[in-house]
Amino acid sequence: MKTMLAKLMLAAAVIGGGLQAASAETANIWVRADGSNFMPRIVDAFNKAHKDQIKLDIIPNAEIIPKYGAAAAGGTAPDALSLDLIYTPSFAAAGQLEDITDWAKSLPYFSSLSPAHVKTGTYKGRIYGLPFSADSSVLIWNKKLFKQAGLDPEKGPTNWAEIEADAEKVNALGGDIKGFYFSGNCGGCNIFTFTPLIWASGGDILSEDGSKATLDSPQLRGAIDLYRSMVKKGLVPEGAQTDTGANFFAAFAGGKIGLSPSGAFAIGALNTQYPDVDYGITFLPGKDGGWSSFAGGDNFVVTKGTKKIAVVKEFLDFAYSLEGQTILAKYGSLPVRGDIAKEALKDLDPRYQVAAEAMAKGKTPYSVVFNDLINSANGPWTQMINEVFFGDDVDGAIANAQETMQSIIDQAPNK
Amino acid sequence: MTAITAASAPVRSRAGVSRRQWVGLLYVLPAVALVTVFFVIPLGMTAWMSLNNWPLMGEHSFVGLDNYIAILHDTRFWNALKFTFYYTVIVTIAIFAVAFPLAIFIEKPRPLTNLYRTAFFMPAVVGFASASLLWSWLLNVDSGLFSPAAYDIGLTEKKVNLLATFQPAFWSIIAMVVWKVAGFTMIILMTGLQSIPQDLQEAAVIDGAGPFARFRAITLPLMRRTLALALILSVAGSILAFDQFYIILRGGPRNQTLTAVYWIFNQSFVSFKLGYGAALSMVLLVILVALSLVQLWLLRKPEGLD
Repeated sequence: MKTMLAKLMLAAAVIGGGLQAASAETANIWVRADGSNFMPRIVDAFNKAHKDQIKLDIIPNAEIIPKYGAAAAGGTAPDALSLDLIYTPSFAAAGQLEDITDWAKSLPYFSSLSPAHVKTGTYKGRIYGLPFSADSSVLIWNKKLFKQAGLDPEKGPTNWAEIEADAEKVNALGGDIKGFYFSGNCGGCNIFTFTPLIWASGGDILSEDGSKATLDSPQLRGAIDLYRSMVKKGLVPEGAQTDTGANFFAAFAGGKIGLSPSGAFAIGALNTQYPDVDYGITFLPGKDGGWSSFAGGDNFVVTKGTKKIAVVKEFLDFAYSLEGQTILAKYGSLPVRGDIAKEALKDLDPRYQVAAEAMAKGKTPYSVVFNDLINSANGPWTQMINEVFFGDDVDGAIANAQETMQSIIDQAPNK
Repeated sequence: MTAITAASAPVRSRAGVSRRQWVGLLYVLPAVALVTVFFVIPLGMTAWMSLNNWPLMGEHSFVGLDNYIAILHDTRFWNALKFTFYYTVIVTIAIFAVAFPLAIFIEKPRPLTNLYRTAFFMPAVVGFASASLLWSWLLNVDSGLFSPAAYDIGLTEKKVNLLATFQPAFWSIIAMVVWKVAGFTMIILMTGLQSIPQDLQEAAVIDGAGPFARFRAITLPLMRRTLALALILSVAGSILAFDQFYIILRGGPRNQTLTAVYWIFNQSFVSFKLGYGAALSMVLLVILVALSLVQLWLLRKPEGLD
């Protein structure tokens, strides 16, 4: 009965061009805590303007995957969820998601949706996820400390040598002030902010289709040497070695760090929570110039077999409108529609433009076992970055990680 | 008549026994129901899941003993188990080394005994997760207590990151667990000490036994049962350790403090292999039951005592 109604409503919407259906439905949507700033605003705006309603649940970041799995097994999964985009392949591979290829391709602006999202949302040629929110990795620097250190506060570093030189100068201010910060025991943070250094220099850690680990490259080795050298010179606070991500943003926000790789989210967070910190934003550079970025964020996915698919599509349509994209940008995400991104950002902090450009040309690794390889606190990537940045046996650590990662990829159930 | 009486008597008595049994069953029914719902059924389900390839999402399929065969080759699980045993031995010794003197100290009534008992027992009422969060902050190198304090009073040249290398990180956890658990073990040991008749000690004193001889010949043998209880609780608790390593160390530095339960958690909820996690749980269960039996046997009541 409900599917009938949904079909009727869809038909009514198509024929009548937005004609209101007779009865309203409510769809349930989940989002991870990272989206707790912008998601409720979009849902509110949608609910005010539409008869159909969205009920939103915000789930802690680390819980959302197991919780969704349990709910799906028990038949109580939400109709749709905003999912960290890197998980889309593994969710699709598990047969958990609704194939939305036809609908997606019928959208007039399909070709301007964030390519990184669409790529991770595609599994075996079919589309299971579409972009919802976006976050790109960038390099941020503290203008006040740059000025004190005699550096040009308006000019960020454009290659690795400049990063190290700038960090050294700031570090020389002494006291509590340190040159550089990164979360040295956090796989997720470093795939976001460290791999762009490698990409920008022409290397990669995974093959394009995610079937091969490619850690044994001079570019990776070079980027490691940059970080090692800064650690050795004491430019990085002691706590970095054991930071599992808790200080990823907070360290820089404290105002005593010269430079730190971070994300577009930091713009909104710094502006609203730390208005005193004067900072600049630039791209994460390659060894000799050039730049790259990790295109992250959430894909919007639909639970297989949901009866509320019409409402869900209506909501996503709204999120893609200029109004939706503007709300998104205002509350901490980058727009995901390239064709109207400039317009959505026009009244906002100009530093967003850098992040938006980074997003547009950003890159996202593709793997159905991303969690095992990269994000897991005990996975090979996390172990390797900690060993190579702070340990003694760099080559051994890389070789070990290469072997472990390849064996995890080879054992994956649905390649 | 006699034949009838003789025949009917056992019948009546059988009916009586049977009624008593039914009443008895009624009394234990709530407990049986609880154990069935919350232990037997989940255990049965775990056993069943362990025979399946059971992903967190999607369809599961029967694979027989494949998961158990995979465990044989899972070196990281056996390493985790090895570390768990190492941790269990060290932490159990540490707990008893602290708890026994404390128990002897607070056993006899003396001024402020109640205050001491309460103070020593206090950490035991804090949950393991909360205690771990507290210590995670205390151990933080930049904003914690130990490292900055040692640096400020000039013990170290710079702030030392206690959690960055294995030895200090491991011993920090041991210190935290002893702080948290010793009070509980102390109370158990104290009840054992108090159950020893005073006249035995007095008789030994009259016979000229010194304090050490009395401890070895009277206190320890008479505390067998209490020791067994405290030991089994401590060993079982340590083999199932997870919270402190997850919250404070994340299994680090460099995965050197991954415990067995941590590995089960990772397989189930990071790699989404619930079936394999279930198989690992069954293996751990068997190991734990075997260990407990060995301990009970070692600390059994010797013949002729009592």
